[in-house]
Amino acid sequence: MSASALLTQLNLRSGDLIVGALYVVFAFWAFYTLVAIYHWLKYSHASWVTFPAIAVHLFISLAIMSYALYGSIPLFVSYI
Amino acid sequence: MKEFELEPGEHVVKEARKHWFLFLSGLLPYAIIAVLPFALPNLLMLVPAFESYASFFDFSTPLMRISLGVWLLITWTSAWGAFTRYFLDAWVLTNNRLVDIDQKRYFSREVSSLLLSRVQDVTIKVNGVIPSLLDIGDISVQSAGATVDEFTMKGIPHPSQMRDLILKYVPTEPQTPGI
Repeated sequence: MSASALLTQLNLRSGDLIVGALYVVFAFWAFYTLVAIYHWLKYSHASWVTFPAIAVHLFISLAIMSYALYGSIPLFVSYI
Repeated sequence: MKEFELEPGEHVVKEARKHWFLFLSGLLPYAIIAVLPFALPNLLMLVPAFESYASFFDFSTPLMRISLGVWLLITWTSAWGAFTRYFLDAWVLTNNRLVDIDQKRYFSREVSSLLLSRVQDVTIKVNGVIPSLLDIGDISVQSAGATVDEFTMKGIPHPSQMRDLILKYVPTEPQTPGI
């Protein structure tokens, strides 16, 4: 059975699978990011690096996500 | 400090981490992985047998764009995780003790303390061309009668300066154990 036939039988469109896969990746990213932020806040000894490091991570991650979803990066990124 | 409380009169003298060169060396695999989707089509074009596969890497199509985005997101997040572990892995020298905070991975930390009054010997080791040029080395601190017999700090910048700093704070007069 081909992949497209299987999708038809399961009443799924390939787009649904891609969206589902993206949800899994973003959920993994969110969990990993939360764990890392928890470590930064708890163990960085209130270093000044903490918040810039978290901000840079969120900024670049959101830019990559925006590119993946819409093919463009947000307007605020292009200003920097 | 979350891992250890400073005693009255105790202050942090220096906080040290592995040399930035070692950190950047650790980032190299992530950089190669990130560049791979862009470099691969050009590399495939060099081999006539695989030339036709180069067109597969057309990132203007939604599926390939999403794949590239996921690839870059995972790579970036992993690299940032490496930076997090690098930063949280530190050595803290106070005027009383030396603390080694070993961040093995997330939710796995080992914090060891060595009282400077128990230090017997401090040895530095610099091996190789790049460590010699960049002044990167290992410091071994031997202790007397402590639970930690040898305390090793690997890949720290300016090891001789660090050794001198440790020795500066080692009390010269023998102290009564427990004080």
